Amino acid sequence: MVLGKYKTVVSARSTDKEILEKSQDGGIVTQLFVFALENGYIDGAIVTGIGDRPWKPRPYIATTKEEILAARGTKYNISPNISWIKEATRSFGLDKVGIVGTPCQMQAIRKGQLYPIGLREVPDKIALAIGIFCMENFPYKSIQQLVEDHAGQKMQAVKKMEIGKGKFWVYTERGNVVSLPLKITHKYEQPGCHVCLDYVANLGDISTGSVGSPDGWSTVFIRTKKGEEIWNRAIAAGCFETTPIDQVKPGLELVTKLANEKITKNKKYIEERASYGVNKGLRNPYI
Amino acid sequence: MSKVVEISPTTRHEGHSKLVLKINDAGIVERGDWLSITPVRGVEKLAIGKTMEQVPKIASRVCGICPIAHTLAATEAMEASIGCEIPKDAHLLRVILQCANRLHSIALHNILILPDFYIPGTDKKINPFTKEEPVRSVAKRIQRLREIGQTIGEIAGGEAVHPSNPRVGGMYRNVTERAKWKMYDLAKEGLVLAHEQMEFMIAVLRNFQKRDWTEVGGKQIPIPKDLGYHNQGYMATHPVYGTSSLDEDPTWKPERWLETRPWDWYMGEVTIDFEDPTYPIGGTTKAGTKAWPQMEACTGVPTYDGQPVEVGPRARLVLFKNYDEKGTIGQHIARQMEYPDCLYSIIKCLDELNPSAKVLADKIPQGDGSFGWAANEAPRGTDVHLARVKDGRVQWFEMLVPTTWNFPTCSRALTGAPWQLAELVVRAYDPCVSCATHMIVVNEENRIVAQKLIQ
Repeated sequence: MVLGKYKTVVSARSTDKEILEKSQDGGIVTQLFVFALENGYIDGAIVTGIGDRPWKPRPYIATTKEEILAARGTKYNISPNISWIKEATRSFGLDKVGIVGTPCQMQAIRKGQLYPIGLREVPDKIALAIGIFCMENFPYKSIQQLVEDHAGQKMQAVKKMEIGKGKFWVYTERGNVVSLPLKITHKYEQPGCHVCLDYVANLGDISTGSVGSPDGWSTVFIRTKKGEEIWNRAIAAGCFETTPIDQVKPGLELVTKLANEKITKNKKYIEERASYGVNKGLRNPYI
Repeated sequence: MSKVVEISPTTRHEGHSKLVLKINDAGIVERGDWLSITPVRGVEKLAIGKTMEQVPKIASRVCGICPIAHTLAATEAMEASIGCEIPKDAHLLRVILQCANRLHSIALHNILILPDFYIPGTDKKINPFTKEEPVRSVAKRIQRLREIGQTIGEIAGGEAVHPSNPRVGGMYRNVTERAKWKMYDLAKEGLVLAHEQMEFMIAVLRNFQKRDWTEVGGKQIPIPKDLGYHNQGYMATHPVYGTSSLDEDPTWKPERWLETRPWDWYMGEVTIDFEDPTYPIGGTTKAGTKAWPQMEACTGVPTYDGQPVEVGPRARLVLFKNYDEKGTIGQHIARQMEYPDCLYSIIKCLDELNPSAKVLADKIPQGDGSFGWAANEAPRGTDVHLARVKDGRVQWFEMLVPTTWNFPTCSRALTGAPWQLAELVVRAYDPCVSCATHMIVVNEENRIVAQKLIQ
């Protein structure tokens, strides 16, 4: 069950040129939110834009296509999207909220729906939760150090960041391309991520990520009834072109491999933590 | 020869209170004492030394029925003390929040009082939880009205129960255009329902007024025509919202207010010598038990111009709209008449509200310890909070809440009613007892000490 429960899995990309222009891979999240917004599945979505510093994420509530498009692309940083979930249903007046987040944020959403402490009248308003694949996350300072010190590029000049093919890639507006081996990035990871046993956002309605699909495409898991309904409608509306996952390289094999790697590595770390400190150790968060 | 009967606890209202009644041979109340026996909250003491931002949030926690009134009164008391004027749109949001709270509170009170009344034309009392029509659709309407009130409150105030959005200096955030229209739609839907509900309630109440008797504990009790009448006068500060010491012409005067001890007001120790085991919910207290209202009462007795006064919907209507019906039914009808008012006020404020305007004052002074107060017209009456803030910290804080005013007034209104109807009179005040508690009376080495928690 390393890939969680899912109804279908495909390789897909958006058919919208404008979305693909600046999207990380297949533009799945942006396209899905735009479709859901235009067809009344959601009133708005909590997405991640750029904050007060270059590449520093800032979650915000998007209620138009333009606002959703402004959030295209991955920011390899912590973005507290869930912090807006209550406000979205309050002063923003949304009845159907879309939200995108990492596997841990999907867990938070589902936990909040199950035990809505501090989330009065929120659970039934979460209309579409899209999870993204995540190996680990970085604090802003870490990304700054990786880009500016290790890669030697200015944060302002960066056009895109990417983790793929075992490397951390930095592309600048003027065409510089720097790749750092992941061995370097490991020590900059957020330590909290090392207890996470979820790689492919098992609790999203739909989860997506680049791994498993060719460049410019994304692997998409459709997990829930709600996710399936929106996905099928979006396909029927011609929002996506899809290829069966068994016809693409490297396919599910790689996703499974990486998921297994993450889970095995982190399980080991959880065991290790138990011996930390003097006579107490750190708690296993899953028991 | 008068006898004493005690109904403890009283039911179908918020909080914990009891009635000690001296009755004559015919069972008519000669002197009634209605007192709070809810344990002391101590919020006023807790507030001392806290920041002025914290205190309204703490004050809100005194109760879950009108926390919005407490939040707004406390916030505005802080603003009055530091001398901070809030932007117009922040005020509009607060009025919307206020009306939303009142709407849901009236609807909730409907559920609580309906079992006292009859389906018109029958001798059948209303059970709001029955599946039978016409009661079912009324119950649904009440729930929808509450939902509308709470949703509007959530949008304008961040939370329907303990609002997070109001803060000293205005509001944390304005609503979006979309949220504004959502509130507007809800208010328009609510307006239709509120009119229907008001008319239904008034029909039920008028029907009760025409009856000669009502059934309590299996007996037919005659209904006096002057049930709940008193001559205590009224106090209200505004038809909808409130006033504060920042206003040019405040409608409440702190110098006219005097707080006395329950010791000076209520009955001394009495022995209960009348009991009725058939009285609903387990009968009245057993004969032979002792009651000591002046020691047991957990409230202060505030007076205005030396007399207890009535606060609440009827007081607002009497003082601002020339309403003149007295008694228990008059009070109920006044409350129903506030239904559409809440929604008209919400709609009016929404028309004026600018979603892109700022809602926080540019400058929030930290206070120099001067005295400030704010009165807020809570669903059940005038809620006055008084404060002194210095350098951002609260030095002194007092809450003068609606039901505190109503306790002694209602006690007087009990005179002349059959004792079985005393609870009916009490419920007409929509009592919310828990916040009305801030006095403790202790017996220390045989010396009776009335110790105010405040000061």
